Amino acid sequence: MISDMFSLLASRSGWFGELLAQHMAISFLSIALAGAIGLSLGIGIAVWRRGARPVLALVNFVYTIPSIALFGFLIPVTGVGNATAVVALTVYALLPMVRNTYTGIANIDLRLVEAARGMGATERQLLYRVELPLAAPVVMSGIRNMATMTIALAGIASFIGAGGLGVAIYRGITTNNLAMTLAGSVLIAALAIAVDALLGLAEKRLRRTFAAGAASAGPGTAASAAAGARARRKRTKRPVPSPSSPAAHTHPALGRVRSWSRRGIVVAGAVAAVAAFAAGAAALMRAEALRSEGGAGGVLGGFLGYAPNAGSGTSDGSAGTIHVATKPMTEQYVLGEMLKALVEQHTNLAVEVTQGVGGGVANIQPALEKGDFDLYPEYTGTGWNAVLKHESAYDESQFDALRSQYEELGLTWVGMYGFNNTYSLAVRSDTAYRLDLSTYSDLARVADQLSLGAEPDFFDRQDGYPGLSQAYSMEFARTMDMDIGLKYQALLGGQVDVIVVFTTDGQLAESDVAVLEDDQGFYPSYRCGNVVRLDTLQEHPELRPELEKLEGAISDADMARMNHAVETDGREPKDVAVEFLAERGLM
Amino acid sequence: MENMPAPATCGAVGTTVAPAAAVAATPTSADGAPAPAATASAAAPTPAADAATPAPAPAIQFECACKRFGDTVALDDVSLSIERGTFATIIGSSGCGKTTLLKTVNALVTPDGGRVLVNGRDVMQADPIQLRRSIGYAIQGSVLFPHLTVERNIAFVPSLFNRKDTRRTTAAVEKWMEIVGLPPSLKGRYPAELSGGQQQRVGIARALAASPDILLMDEPFSAVDEITRAALQDEIRAVHERTGITILFVTHDIDEALGLGERVLVMEAGRVVQYAPPREVLAHPATPFATRLVARKQRVYARG
Repeated sequence: MISDMFSLLASRSGWFGELLAQHMAISFLSIALAGAIGLSLGIGIAVWRRGARPVLALVNFVYTIPSIALFGFLIPVTGVGNATAVVALTVYALLPMVRNTYTGIANIDLRLVEAARGMGATERQLLYRVELPLAAPVVMSGIRNMATMTIALAGIASFIGAGGLGVAIYRGITTNNLAMTLAGSVLIAALAIAVDALLGLAEKRLRRTFAAGAASAGPGTAASAAAGARARRKRTKRPVPSPSSPAAHTHPALGRVRSWSRRGIVVAGAVAAVAAFAAGAAALMRAEALRSEGGAGGVLGGFLGYAPNAGSGTSDGSAGTIHVATKPMTEQYVLGEMLKALVEQHTNLAVEVTQGVGGGVANIQPALEKGDFDLYPEYTGTGWNAVLKHESAYDESQFDALRSQYEELGLTWVGMYGFNNTYSLAVRSDTAYRLDLSTYSDLARVADQLSLGAEPDFFDRQDGYPGLSQAYSMEFARTMDMDIGLKYQALLGGQVDVIVVFTTDGQLAESDVAVLEDDQGFYPSYRCGNVVRLDTLQEHPELRPELEKLEGAISDADMARMNHAVETDGREPKDVAVEFLAERGLM
Repeated sequence: MENMPAPATCGAVGTTVAPAAAVAATPTSADGAPAPAATASAAAPTPAADAATPAPAPAIQFECACKRFGDTVALDDVSLSIERGTFATIIGSSGCGKTTLLKTVNALVTPDGGRVLVNGRDVMQADPIQLRRSIGYAIQGSVLFPHLTVERNIAFVPSLFNRKDTRRTTAAVEKWMEIVGLPPSLKGRYPAELSGGQQQRVGIARALAASPDILLMDEPFSAVDEITRAALQDEIRAVHERTGITILFVTHDIDEALGLGERVLVMEAGRVVQYAPPREVLAHPATPFATRLVARKQRVYARG
């Protein structure tokens, strides 16, 4: 597994490098923002103590919102992509920053504050010369915590279509590629450790003043200083107490903070902020350059969200950029690559694919309506229930109704691929042959001699076993709960006779199984096609013919075969997609 | 009796608020402000010495100063003048208002009623920042800034206003280190690397670094051993002799109060019950409290 990971890292170093750069851009920008805002807020509530309780309560509350939910809340506001990721990460990072800054300042010995004030320090001088330097170690530990946390949390950003190493993790999970997940995780961990080490080094450098001071105060000098003092003040009979005995009235916690001079802090803060921004910007430009040769109009504009309008008004000769989203499913990754290859081959349009948007339709649909995305592959039954919110089961006779209701949302369906990714029942080929099974009705005849394996929830859902057995009066002799990953093994190993499958499961391509026909149409239809914004089609008329080239081009078996190529053979979705297009003479 | 505090008649308007001698105020104080107290002028219509040599305003004047913290009375109609150049020690049991009295001088505490004048000028009218920078302040345990070296601790006040003129600041640091008996080799040390006595000296040097003409000290030597304290007392006495500044020195140690002060201010429950030279306090304690306070010393004094 480890060696798999390293060979993957080596073979796809460019791609991982791009993800790493994106990851750094997103997390460093968030760190810099949270650092600046959190520090100001922390100082603010330390000065205006009455605000401390509500502000801390608020940032605490925000911190407890699960990240997935926070992303969900933000999508309607900031859209899908990097901007949302940066906002969410910044919001999370605020708590350690605000809390540490406040705690650092609030815990300073009050006598020091009064001494400074009594000697005529203004509030500003008090803050910069006394409070901030003394709070600095606590603030610094807050920054280190926050940076590590943000880099780790940025892995979730891919969930809402942002870039970064989370893309590798997420894709690894959804395409059953553990080495890829591991590679992404290891790179995130390495980045976090490296950044923490750098911050630690910066912290140490800031203490060098103190180190120098301590070095000159060796025991020899201390003794001679004491002797000198004794010699000069004749009235003192005994030597002054040894300098090595720590002064009782010095706050012990302050012992290690001595060297935090005001100037040091200001410089360090400025350097850290500039470095973070510079690194972020550099990483970003690199990421942009890698992604599309000069496709981004303005670094920040290109970075912060997908703003299609900004992308379509181009100056580099391309006719515009089409933003394609896909759900986190292997077959959608393949379809995304297919669309990109096809459209970019035959038109001047650039295609930017945001692969595997987490939460699927729930997150893609709002972004599509907002214009962050132009199109994505969807399944008719899902659109009917999840987008149009119909309670009824969908069948293909309702396709015209489906499309016209979508058009009310400014969207339409173009290019139905041909395959239907729905539930089905599968048996071993020899069972099918022996019992002469080709439809569910055939199966119903002999069900009382057979056993059925399915995921536990299948036996509870109305559109699962209860509905099925009612529709076909099908009662199996035995039913068995089993994990989704194990059911093909169980079927082929003879532990069960019938399993519930998805019609494009990759395993169908290699397994000696027969998928039976739902002859009474119990299951809703889930034909796959592209949901496209109407105004995109209007603006780029050359897009529609390209999408229609795939009309009916992919059968259930084709899709299953391609899923298998990715999930089991470990091939790249892009290669599989291009190969298929070439096979069909579309490239 | 001229140095006894005025009777507590502060409530009434137009009454004399300070002993006549103390009220011999000039029409023009050091900074050109008008005569400090209208009521005082009424009591003493014309300055005794006309325009020839106007007597300077007292360094510090309290006029019916009152302060409460909740139910606790910290200052109860305190009226008192402290002449320039006086080394005054304030003695009293804890909670009697000593520290509060001190803090009204540099505007860390605002009186609820009455006024406090510094160099003839009402502290409430002054810019508190400028006022505090012109008054040295050394508090209990010296409280040095742990993140600054000895040099930068001492230079703290000068650095607050003349941050450009580092040469002058350096000179001031060296001068005051020498005066309080700190070897120059300690300049680069941090407070935690110093002995208790050295820390106190740095605290004194810091309070004096901007050459104030008033120095407030709040139990500055309470955290050091007897021997070191004796040395520090010698040091502060020497500083006073050398500079002639006005020192207000709070202590709870009667030996320290009588030994250091040219005048001893005895406080009891927010009131000033006696303000007199140590000898007079010993000979004629004003109240039973003062009597108890000096009882043991009286025996020594009687013998001596």
